[in-house]
Amino acid sequence: MEKEKDYFQLIYRIIIALIAVGFLTVIWPFISGVILMLVFAFLLTTVLLSFVDGLERKIKSRGLSVLAVTMAVLASIGLFIGSFIAQLSAQAKDFTSRVDQDTLTAEFKALAEKFTSAMPSFMREMQPSDSDFASTLSGFIKTVLENLTSLAGVVGNFFFMAAMVFIFTIILLAEYHHFKKTLVQFISNKYFEVGLRLIFNVEKAVSSYLRGQFLAAASVGVMSMIGLGILNFFGANLTLVVFIGIIAGLANLIPLVGPFVGMIPAILISFMNNIGNEAALAHKMFGVVPSPFFLVDIILMFIIVQQIEGNLITPTLVGKSVGIHPMMVMIALLIGGTLLGPLGMLFAVPTTGILKVIGQEISFVRKNAHLL
Amino acid sequence: MKSALWPNVFKGWNKTESETVLTLKSVPVFKGFTDKEFSELEQLIHRRTYKPNEYVFKNQAPGEGMYIIVFGGVKISIGSRQGKEQVLAELTAGDFFGELALLGDEPRSASAIATDHSKLLGFFKPDLFSLLERNPVLGNKVLMNLAQVIGERLRKTNQLLVEAQTG
Repeated sequence: MEKEKDYFQLIYRIIIALIAVGFLTVIWPFISGVILMLVFAFLLTTVLLSFVDGLERKIKSRGLSVLAVTMAVLASIGLFIGSFIAQLSAQAKDFTSRVDQDTLTAEFKALAEKFTSAMPSFMREMQPSDSDFASTLSGFIKTVLENLTSLAGVVGNFFFMAAMVFIFTIILLAEYHHFKKTLVQFISNKYFEVGLRLIFNVEKAVSSYLRGQFLAAASVGVMSMIGLGILNFFGANLTLVVFIGIIAGLANLIPLVGPFVGMIPAILISFMNNIGNEAALAHKMFGVVPSPFFLVDIILMFIIVQQIEGNLITPTLVGKSVGIHPMMVMIALLIGGTLLGPLGMLFAVPTTGILKVIGQEISFVRKNAHLL
Repeated sequence: MKSALWPNVFKGWNKTESETVLTLKSVPVFKGFTDKEFSELEQLIHRRTYKPNEYVFKNQAPGEGMYIIVFGGVKISIGSRQGKEQVLAELTAGDFFGELALLGDEPRSASAIATDHSKLLGFFKPDLFSLLERNPVLGNKVLMNLAQVIGERLRKTNQLLVEAQTG
């Protein structure tokens, strides 16, 4: 009789779960955007909450604290984007005034020849003889530039999402403690203390992970700036050093893939600034390794920065706050990347961390279930 | 025509203290708090209602914090209700229990069961940590008062021990 009841319970639960999954599949396309914005807002709130709480402690006003912190964040973002665009357009203007289409093709040709001559003979033979690498590459760049206008829609959508995330964040920051209290009121007496414990532990894990990640990103940014400064000392002629550093730091937030993404702006700037410079084209790292346009130097510098960050800074700052096995990190990144692209990769590890904490708490509750 | 201005201007002047604040004022853990501090604490406190015979917490369960009785009653007991139950204390409105859980990770040392329809106020570890972060002065006041309450209990226990040994 008892067994029969168990079976009925199981079937009932499976049916409920299937209905829930089906319902979610139907409504997901309509709500996924809002959920994504809320998740972003929650993560941003977690990062900014300690600043707001700290300021509230000093000025004794929650509203003013939220206002001051959000204004500071907006001002920094505005300052960064504004000066980045200004400097980038100045850089682009300088680049176009210095280099015309023919020079660009000629430079690509020289670069391609350099690469081809550096290849082993069997690889050289593998290249199709009629392919003009240089003109293909410059044609490709032209197409990319022409298609830039179609990005306007995407940018508009991005700004709308960013504005909504910011509004959600302001509301969450102002009402965070009140929202949390309201939420826990719905927990039944039996699970009340365990529920509080779960929320507290998840909060703690997420905030310590995010804070650690941001500190690690800041350290990568600063180290990249120093590294680029050193390369400039040896004649690399790199501009926008601060922005390259910030982008490298931000890219570092995405594990495994980020570090490589961080190198790209530096390589592009080096190429743009040194095009037509024979000395830069013939540069050799340590006087031995051929490194046209300081490419190998830049890659090596970023690898060194990543190694210092990965082996010294992150273990000290982040420690074992999330403590996920590297294999799990890779799987989480692949799943996140497949589901939501780069954003999914950014959120993959903290989400896995939250799931791990929830799993640990569930196992704790199961162990103590007879005491609830 | 009656003006609505003056009643609005003076609205809140004769505001009486809430039931929660009145209850909190009787608890030694919140001794020495100003009215403003009590209203800040009121924002953190959780209000829970219990039916007669409902467990507030069970013996050996992981504990997260303390409870204060607004109305109703709670008995503190060890042993199961089916077997040999030993009631250690019967608590009523204004009494508090479970405060040791605020300071350590040890499991509950007894069960707490509502004896009547009861309304309890809960103050838990996450609330204390939040208070210590957002208002350290107030958080430290709670810790100092907690230390005093526990010290007082220890003194009484020692006295009982001495009395039991001497005869």
